[in-house]
Amino acid sequence: MKFKHILVILLIAAFALAGCTQQTEEPMETEEPEETEEVVETEESEGTLPQVCLDDAFGCAEIPAGETIKIGMGAPLLGDYSMFGTDISQAVALALAQDDGFEGFTYELVAEDTGGTPEAGAAVANLLVTDPTVVAIAGHIFSGSTDAAIPIYDTAGLPMMSPSATNPDLTQKGSAVFNRLAFTDADQGRSAANLLFNELGFTKIGVMHDGGTYGQGLADVVQAEFENLGGEVVAYEGITPGEADYVAPLSAVAAGEPEAVYFGGYAADAIVMMNQWAQAGLEGVLFFGCDGTFGVEFTDKTGANGEGAIAASLVPPDSAEKTAFDEAYAAEYPTEAGELSAFTWSSFDTGNVLIAAIESVAFVEGDTLFVPRGALVEAVRNSDFTGLTGLIKCDEIGECNASGPAFYQVVDGVWVPLDLGS
Amino acid sequence: MIEKIKKIRFTPRLILRMVIAVALLVYLTWRVVQVTSSEAVFGADTWLRFLISGLVIGGMYALIAIGYTLVYGILFMINFAHGEVMMLGTFAGYFVLEAFSAIPGPGTEGVNFLNAQPIIALILAFIVGAGVAALFGFLLERIAYRPLRGAPRLIPLISAIGASIFLQNAAQLLFGPQRRQYSNPDLLWRGTGWMIPVGDKSVMLTYTGVFSFVLSILLMIGLFILVKKTKLGKSMRAVAENKQAAALMGIDVDSVISKTFLISGALAGAAGVMWGIHNGLFNHYVGFIPGIKAFTAAVLGGIGNIPGAMLGGMVLGLMESLGPALLGLDFQIKDVIAFTILILVLIFRPSGLLGEALTEEKI
Amino acid sequence: MNESLKRSLRLGLIFGIVVIFFMLIGFTNVAANMIGDMLGNIEQTSVNPELPVLNLVLFTGLMGLFTGVSATKKDGQDSWVQVLISGLIAGLSASIIIVGFILIVGSLHTQGVDFRTYLPNLGGNEIQYLMFYTTPLAAAVRFILIMVASSILGSLIVKSFSSGSTVNRALKSLQQKTTKKLDVQTLKSALGNKFILMGALVAVAVLMYFLPFVWGSYWNYIMGTVAIYILLGLGLNIIVGYSGQLVLGYVAFFAIGAYTFALLTAPEPHAIEMNLWLAMLIAVLVSTLAGFLIGLPILNLRGDYLAIVTLGFGEIVRILIRSDLLTSITNGPKGVTNVGQPFLRGQLFNDTNYMHLLMLLVLAGLFVAKRLKDSRTGRAWISIREDQTVAQATGVNTFRYKILALMLGAAFAGLSGAIFASRNQFTGPEDFTLMVSVNVLCVVIVGGMGSLPGVVLGAFVLKGLPELLRELSDYRLLVFGALLVVMMIVRPNGLWPVSRPKFRKKPLEATPDEPVEVEA
Repeated sequence: MKFKHILVILLIAAFALAGCTQQTEEPMETEEPEETEEVVETEESEGTLPQVCLDDAFGCAEIPAGETIKIGMGAPLLGDYSMFGTDISQAVALALAQDDGFEGFTYELVAEDTGGTPEAGAAVANLLVTDPTVVAIAGHIFSGSTDAAIPIYDTAGLPMMSPSATNPDLTQKGSAVFNRLAFTDADQGRSAANLLFNELGFTKIGVMHDGGTYGQGLADVVQAEFENLGGEVVAYEGITPGEADYVAPLSAVAAGEPEAVYFGGYAADAIVMMNQWAQAGLEGVLFFGCDGTFGVEFTDKTGANGEGAIAASLVPPDSAEKTAFDEAYAAEYPTEAGELSAFTWSSFDTGNVLIAAIESVAFVEGDTLFVPRGALVEAVRNSDFTGLTGLIKCDEIGECNASGPAFYQVVDGVWVPLDLGS
Repeated sequence: MIEKIKKIRFTPRLILRMVIAVALLVYLTWRVVQVTSSEAVFGADTWLRFLISGLVIGGMYALIAIGYTLVYGILFMINFAHGEVMMLGTFAGYFVLEAFSAIPGPGTEGVNFLNAQPIIALILAFIVGAGVAALFGFLLERIAYRPLRGAPRLIPLISAIGASIFLQNAAQLLFGPQRRQYSNPDLLWRGTGWMIPVGDKSVMLTYTGVFSFVLSILLMIGLFILVKKTKLGKSMRAVAENKQAAALMGIDVDSVISKTFLISGALAGAAGVMWGIHNGLFNHYVGFIPGIKAFTAAVLGGIGNIPGAMLGGMVLGLMESLGPALLGLDFQIKDVIAFTILILVLIFRPSGLLGEALTEEKI
Repeated sequence: MNESLKRSLRLGLIFGIVVIFFMLIGFTNVAANMIGDMLGNIEQTSVNPELPVLNLVLFTGLMGLFTGVSATKKDGQDSWVQVLISGLIAGLSASIIIVGFILIVGSLHTQGVDFRTYLPNLGGNEIQYLMFYTTPLAAAVRFILIMVASSILGSLIVKSFSSGSTVNRALKSLQQKTTKKLDVQTLKSALGNKFILMGALVAVAVLMYFLPFVWGSYWNYIMGTVAIYILLGLGLNIIVGYSGQLVLGYVAFFAIGAYTFALLTAPEPHAIEMNLWLAMLIAVLVSTLAGFLIGLPILNLRGDYLAIVTLGFGEIVRILIRSDLLTSITNGPKGVTNVGQPFLRGQLFNDTNYMHLLMLLVLAGLFVAKRLKDSRTGRAWISIREDQTVAQATGVNTFRYKILALMLGAAFAGLSGAIFASRNQFTGPEDFTLMVSVNVLCVVIVGGMGSLPGVVLGAFVLKGLPELLRELSDYRLLVFGALLVVMMIVRPNGLWPVSRPKFRKKPLEATPDEPVEVEA
């Protein structure tokens, strides 16, 4: 037989084998793909389902004995923005690991890389909905990636709780499944504009963004609010993220002679900009960033150039639980809580909120754990939970945030709370 | 002159082309005049900044483009993995500088070697960076291209693409996906430079920028001398012209090809180290976009033509920097402008700016 | 003797470097985990459990085996002693490299050096595992023993399987017996019988109808992606495979088709929301028009210039879609959400329906492509591909046919783009990067340029196979790149090359590979 025929046979065998053996991916698989004549055309297992599941609009997730209850996540685990994904997935994983499980079933985090892009967010969402043991989504992390994923999870009936997707429009779309712990960019932008105009006394600023849902959304809020307050936005420029040289757009902004420049975007690009600040003619001009530009990555990679930059972060109130969490986090992972991103604590709360919701609707019958999906969506929306960041209670559109943004400044190479006395 | 014009056959296509060319030129000049005259937008200092930025990056593109063009001239293949060779040079230079910044300097207390002897450190960084890149260029040719010498053109192209993907991911797996930062010696710290007064403002001419530009020019001149004056250069030109005839003349074609890859790799490696010193941040992906840009530059100048590659690189760099501002467009679409200009040049001058009009038979 | 010594030495060194490479990229750990899964000897006590030493021994042994196998000549010319020596030398030279690495890294580690900032895969746990949880010196000894032993074993195995030996002869007679039974020729003549052919077709059709129900959403998703790439491959095959134009910007047409469909059917930004099938048709037409417009100015360009210009077009389309300039039309970097999905009997398409639709389209596409290939147009394309000047000289209107190829290719891309956007319910500019063009090009060339079964095979191998290896997902692209290089060297004509019509004459004796031709 010729090579090509052998190859085709090998391929078919490989796919058949994979289809049969990957029982962990789809426990719904009832027969091997080779049998043709007798085919059971259902996706549910044989036998009767509990009435609750039949009544539920989205059906039930069935988790057989020996399987884990999976919580999915779409996060930037690789690439320029990996500090966010790493930090947040680590915190959620810690929450899941610390929990004792439910009736013998343990929890597992399935985090897939999105690189922060909307396209990958949709792809990850499409992928996660094919796994029947995924019952909820802790995420997504970036606003653009979340925006793309919400319709997909809406159709599939998977509830979401995001610790970090801050774009205001996300809760305005009438989604039943999307909830978030994070403060919105509307709040953050208004606070920032207020700070710039009233507290810091600037009247002319430049506004820059990276074109993404999050970055440009923030920039637009800041621009509108600043002009509302009576200030002047002398320049508004967008950059393409991921480049090595931003001197040109920065120079264009410098030409307007701003007193400060607001940037909506992420640390990876902010670092490059900061290092080219003087070259572009912006020496002495204040850099005002956002929660995306916060983190140890920024201070590490800008060094002296980053001195005086401002960014936003979360401040959870001090408590015994927070201390315990900080210690557990530092013991398990090479970084400390709050070092890589501002969202470590709210991510921990996200994990726990989801666990509480799942345990409020799930039940075991026989050997299988049933989680009614529609009921879970409602349970997440009706969450009433006190976590590290405070009381987490969602309103009708899914805003569950407990604490607002706080502003930090780089002093001597470290982020410290912004002191306006200077 | 009149005879020449009379001899041109005015086909509809030619007339169409001429009309489009004239219309474009008119639009462009009007646009440029409009933008430069309204001083409210950009002052002279900003234009100077654009110019400096364009020249520096143009120099780096030119260096990498020469590598592409050298290989193409000899083997008629697009070395897709050239950008990755540059990336390897960047990594090598990074490790050298990191090592030097960890070792204490001789004599002086509390100063690391990097700052105590910056010149030696930099020279070594360049030598190692160029050397590693040259080695990988050599290996690339031996492993991925030599077995395919004589196959139809698409085959080595796919092999090159495969090698490029392999090298990128190998670097990612070996060193991690996070971005790293070059530790420059304090002498050559990023973001410091001479301040040039322009009107009542001042424009910074960064030390790293000048360093990169001067080094690029020197290397290009060096290569030019090598190709024109040395025996190796002559052999390279001979092999590029006709492999069989060169072999008949007693030239060891395989050895010449290997040496070409070594040189092209070394240039890319030097460009890589330069990139790291000037731009600072890099990861395994750093070679991909410059590779494509350099390829564009080489084609723009006429592929196979070394002065063409240099010119193409400079033009591309300047276009990227000055283009959006001159045309009053967004900085986000600078690549669109660059590619559009490439397409326009190729439409009206199909063999590139300085290229010879090769017949299709040479493919 | 010297030759084989040098060869063993060289191969041993190469394998030594390969093993160190594997250690540095963390593959030894992953492999040890996989072996552990197979043997079931890993206890999941914590997030990073201690791995059994046995797994490392087995992995190293496997590497040594490969070393020995490759270092020995396959033709069995060498005597047993020579084979033994070459295995020994290969194993030794490999282990010298490995031992050097282990000693340096191990001793530095015991002195407290942390490699992780520069080499993230050499954390404390990993290094200790690589040293079999003992001292560097003891580990070095172990490595030498394992490598040499397994290398010798490998070369012995090769010697016993090489031609002339008893094992080899037994295998060959077995092969002859089976080939006689599974004769492709008899299969082909059986298919010639109309009833059997009809029966086979019906069986395949039934199989394909029921498969999407059976294999679950996950596989529907994966196979759907494969199907989309088959369609893309068919289109690019027309451009590159049939008419020989190297186009590196194929993704531009994909993007245009997807975005046309998305913008026409999504509630924002334009709220047109027209009938989906109509929108799909329009997407195909717009794509075809784009093919025409893009093709016009560039048809005169030579191979590589064409390549870079089309690459430029691909990037231009992507950047323009994402730019501020056209945000009012395309929604910029945020992409288009809630892209329309078709209805079937009152319900939205689910993944099974999409799979069926894609299957139908793939079959239709294959049919169209085959008919095109066998038509006058197809022959014109082939003549252009082989030698454009001669084609022109024989009266083929190269311009018209080249543009036609571009337009048809663009049509395929537009169609698959529309379905892609619909299935994902979302589309954005970063879905259309240069890598997509590269992937489709690889599908066409790896499958076999100009060959239709090759395109199908290429799509399965390049898009489906990585899904099978999800455990090795970190190394997917690494393997992909290496595979491309190896494929081009070993099988440049592709996995299923175009079978050129051969002039066959009756051979004097039948060779095992080619069955006897009764009719020419």
